[in-house]
Amino acid sequence: MTEDTRPVRIAVDIGGTFTDLQIYDARRGQVVAWKTPTTPADPSDGLLTGVKEASEKFGFALSDVGLLLHGTTIATNAVLERKLARGVLLTTAGFEDVLEITRHFRRDLYALAPDPFPCLIARDMRLGVTERLYADGSVETPLALDGLMDKLRALKPEAIAICLLHAYANPAHERALRDAVAAEFPGLPISLSSEISPEIREYERTSTTVLNAVLMPVVSAYMTKLQARLSQGEFRPRVFLVQSNGGVCSPQTAGEQPARLLLSGPSGGALAASRLAEELGKPNLVAVDMGGTSYDVSVVQDNAVSIITQGEIDGLPVRLPMVEMRTIGAGGGSLARVRDGGRLTVGPESAGARPGPVSYGRGGTEPTVTDANLSTGRLDAEFFLGGAMKLDMPATGRAMAGLGEKLGLSADQTAEGILTLTNAALAAAVRLSLFEKGLHPKDFALLSFGGAGGLHATEVADEMGMTEVVFPQNPGTLSAYGIMFSDLKQDIARSRLLALHEAALPALTELIGELRDEADAALARDGVAPAARELLVSADMRYHGQAFELLVPWGDITAPTAADLAALATRFHAQHKQRFSYSAEDEVVELVTIRVTATGRLPRPEPAPVVPSTGTALKGKRRVFTGDTWQEAGVWDRDSIAGTDTITGPAIIEEAFATHFIAPGWTARLGTAGAIIAVREAV
Amino acid sequence: MIGPVDIEVIRNALTAAAAEMDVTIWRTSRSTIVRELLDYSTAVFDANGWNLAQSARIPGHLNSMSAALRTLLTEYVDAEAWGPDDVVITNDPYCGGQHLPDIIAYRPVFHEGKRIAYVGALCHHIDVGGLAAGSYAATTTEIFQEGLRIPPVKLIENGKRNDGVWAMIRQNIRKPDLLLGDLTSQIASLEVGRQALLRLATRYGADGMTEAAARILDQSEAGMRAAIAAMPDGTYEFTDVLDDDGVDLGKTINIAVTLTIKGDEAVADLSACSAQSKGPVNATLASSNSAVMYALMCASGGGFAMNAGCYRPISVIAPAGLVVNAQAPAPVAHRVAVTHRLLNAMFGALHQAVPDRIPAAYYGNSYVCTFQTIKADAKRDVLVEIEIGGSGGTPTKDGVNAYASGMHNNSNIPIEMIENQMPLTITRYELQPDSGGAGEHRGGLGLLREWRVNSPHCLFTANMDRFQSQPYGLAGGEPAAPGHLLLIRDGKETPIPPKSDNKPLVEGDRVRLVTSGGGGFGKPAARPAEAQARDRAMGYVTG
Repeated sequence: MTEDTRPVRIAVDIGGTFTDLQIYDARRGQVVAWKTPTTPADPSDGLLTGVKEASEKFGFALSDVGLLLHGTTIATNAVLERKLARGVLLTTAGFEDVLEITRHFRRDLYALAPDPFPCLIARDMRLGVTERLYADGSVETPLALDGLMDKLRALKPEAIAICLLHAYANPAHERALRDAVAAEFPGLPISLSSEISPEIREYERTSTTVLNAVLMPVVSAYMTKLQARLSQGEFRPRVFLVQSNGGVCSPQTAGEQPARLLLSGPSGGALAASRLAEELGKPNLVAVDMGGTSYDVSVVQDNAVSIITQGEIDGLPVRLPMVEMRTIGAGGGSLARVRDGGRLTVGPESAGARPGPVSYGRGGTEPTVTDANLSTGRLDAEFFLGGAMKLDMPATGRAMAGLGEKLGLSADQTAEGILTLTNAALAAAVRLSLFEKGLHPKDFALLSFGGAGGLHATEVADEMGMTEVVFPQNPGTLSAYGIMFSDLKQDIARSRLLALHEAALPALTELIGELRDEADAALARDGVAPAARELLVSADMRYHGQAFELLVPWGDITAPTAADLAALATRFHAQHKQRFSYSAEDEVVELVTIRVTATGRLPRPEPAPVVPSTGTALKGKRRVFTGDTWQEAGVWDRDSIAGTDTITGPAIIEEAFATHFIAPGWTARLGTAGAIIAVREAV
Repeated sequence: MIGPVDIEVIRNALTAAAAEMDVTIWRTSRSTIVRELLDYSTAVFDANGWNLAQSARIPGHLNSMSAALRTLLTEYVDAEAWGPDDVVITNDPYCGGQHLPDIIAYRPVFHEGKRIAYVGALCHHIDVGGLAAGSYAATTTEIFQEGLRIPPVKLIENGKRNDGVWAMIRQNIRKPDLLLGDLTSQIASLEVGRQALLRLATRYGADGMTEAAARILDQSEAGMRAAIAAMPDGTYEFTDVLDDDGVDLGKTINIAVTLTIKGDEAVADLSACSAQSKGPVNATLASSNSAVMYALMCASGGGFAMNAGCYRPISVIAPAGLVVNAQAPAPVAHRVAVTHRLLNAMFGALHQAVPDRIPAAYYGNSYVCTFQTIKADAKRDVLVEIEIGGSGGTPTKDGVNAYASGMHNNSNIPIEMIENQMPLTITRYELQPDSGGAGEHRGGLGLLREWRVNSPHCLFTANMDRFQSQPYGLAGGEPAAPGHLLLIRDGKETPIPPKSDNKPLVEGDRVRLVTSGGGGFGKPAARPAEAQARDRAMGYVTG
């Protein structure tokens, strides 16, 4: 960093419903949390409101803030809810349907009425372009624009995705096409496959490019507003955006490559989880983050979260590095509805922040999961957000009764039914995340965070046969806590097929040199001082004939020697054997892609010391509806719980930004690092 | 004692094991037919060879691998002499296999000195020799013309490669590096599956695993029985046809099903099917069984795990010598055509029993074609393509455009991958308008794919059906359009017979394949106006 003496750093995580903040003030050496409703029309409104509120509450000046680390799920939510720009796909003529044909194999072998694969640009918005490249990048048919612009104009595009066959081998046609479109439609967002995902396989590349394009207007509009707001008045921090790869990037990069943000909010949560795994001395955690609109599951094994080079959002391939994460569209705002045949369903539609749940009193009329938690006594109408927001109990009761009428159930039963369905769906997501790796839930503790996570955690654990649930401090702002500890991270990669042999050394030295220069320049541009830069080289490697590569770390390599090459080969064989049970030392090994991961280390804040509790922990009692009956439950104040307290379910634990439900059969106590640990009694 | 949660955990872990094996093959394999087209399957079996858990790959493989292993154990391999470090392979349709390109590999898993399971992996290999590249010849009349026939043999014995077998295979096939690389992946996946099972066995013990396996099968049997019991008792008949066998041209082959549902059991009587064909459109009984099982497993509505327990309440009557129970030495390369059509016929019968859930016919065919390009130095490159069509309209929804359906479940091979490896250019790859059957719920569209030859010499082989017969509609829905296969040379289009071997092509020739969509469901007149308008706006339906 260029020398910035401003003492305050803020990490902010903008979720679908709430904006979470963590504030570190170097003068106090302490991290504190704040939370404010998200403002979907312009999320930077909520951000600024939250910062102002926090500055008053915690006593710092806006001009003290030097750094704003910003995680956002706006890209993710825009995809899940299909609130995307009207995109047009320009592709090689004759291949307009590649996006819709997909890879066309089915995931459910025995289903009789399958849904089509998701497709973000419909057939009438996909245009063929006269051009063709051969696989080596040479030109078969030159680019010709005959009449294309007229057709394009008629489609009134808000964003353009350009993906031409073999553009990874030669981007010339894509660039020429971009220049032509840009000249005709100045300012129109355009995404090129050769820039966002320059790798072979046309469907996956097209999918990634289309996602990027239809997100560009959504995300860059936000970046523009945000930067405009941060360049006036006293609040002028340097801003970085959290990417899916667990690092941060500049707003400019985020606006141009918004697909890199698709899992940015959850990525903060996963980082927080790996940090907590160390702090708590529990190396195996399933971290579940439930907010207003989504439920994210990540697995921390031996204190580490894994990175993958291709992921998926809502069935759409995204070929970019990201933290491994399973996301389902279930959150506090998920709408409960009665569908054909009297089936009660929950989600995937969400009430979002506006109108929001019925109980928010902002015009919502359809009950949500949050409303069900209120109806069953898990939430307190008078103590939502620590009492900062009153919930409308009568309206919620009416909506619940209305839904129940269609089902022949009481309002209470309907509310509990919504929770049962929700918990089963959450448990299924957790189960898949573990079992696909062959892991057993009994070897893991459930780490519950997000504003809504604690209301469901013990019951989800019950579904899984898990016996321990951890409720960390500030669970409602934990993603922001993870973001607080992130660094600038840029992945720069270039594909070049080379046989792993000493003859490749000169080419490798040149390639690595170019990538390092590029990465170094990127960090310099973002103001990272040379001493804070770290460049690590890795290689995608395979045996000749294979189509998938293993990512093999190579270290801080500049000009590789024969010995470096041999070490790399040894590591590849070992990794292949560990992952796939065999290696073939006598076969030709290929280097396919060289990657440089450039990290710009940001100064690390110290973790917050735990403040010993004072006051009365057991605030009172209230009735909760569970197991088809109303039961008396203790209501506890989180901040006052002491090591001597034993909390027996059913019980409610309330804190400023989250409420936790301890189900019958569970007992909770204060554990290390200020976390509450709930344990299932032996059945 | 194994509790209900443990059963659930073990069942899911077995499925995870099959999925891990699947990923191992996917990530390490060498040929495009395995690593891109995904024509392979993995499964876990109990100590007696019954299928316990499957990967989500190819239904035709998955529901025949158990029968193949059972055949090996009862007729060919002494289980007591089959050690923990022995891998047995075969591709012989008359020893439990399907057709020669499919090599199946099995390995037993032992814990505490007891055999607790088998793991198995099947790959459709790119070529095993024979008359035409890809070993998918369309005009053979005996299995000896179809390629190398590997009887059940230990490819690995006591952990060591059986070099003689390895060399025998290498000498008889067109692309040895690809095949042997894929075979290595298969063997690796067996090890990955074995490790996953051992992790489980360490936790639950050999007896626990055996008990869990028995209960997993029992639970699925109970689920299947309940599902059949919920179907109305009765006898339901349906006949569909195959165009011909590639040898007796124009002579249709009947696939006739008499399905009887009685109580909680089902019997499929296939006695009225045509006699076995001269050409390679034949299936062994194991192949045919898999289609019957798969149809009923789909129609059950699910809710329970798919495994060999589901097979128990189902029986098949199919006299030897019919096209659905072919006898050696009949050729069987295109056995999948028979099983696709048998599945179409089973669904036609089931529609009468449970009309609320059965879709109209999908395209019902694996559009297999092979390009063998020959360079000046005689080096051969082989591309095996398997195309698909549209799925049938259902009682509640339209069929899906370009959807791998029924007995197979393959992906497409990325155009960029093909062009990187072969002197071929794909010139078009599109949905085919008007190829789906009209109906209240329209059938999904088929595809158009066009290849251009860039090498001086190329041999083209096709083995396809549904060029005369059409995928049927149901409940008043229209059938889907039939397929087309054309040669485009010097601007002139001429039909290529859909069952052709080694047709010579020259540089610049183009081959265009158009596949069938799915049949429509319900009367076309009942299709809502807005759905019709959308069909036209999207160009799914023209005119």
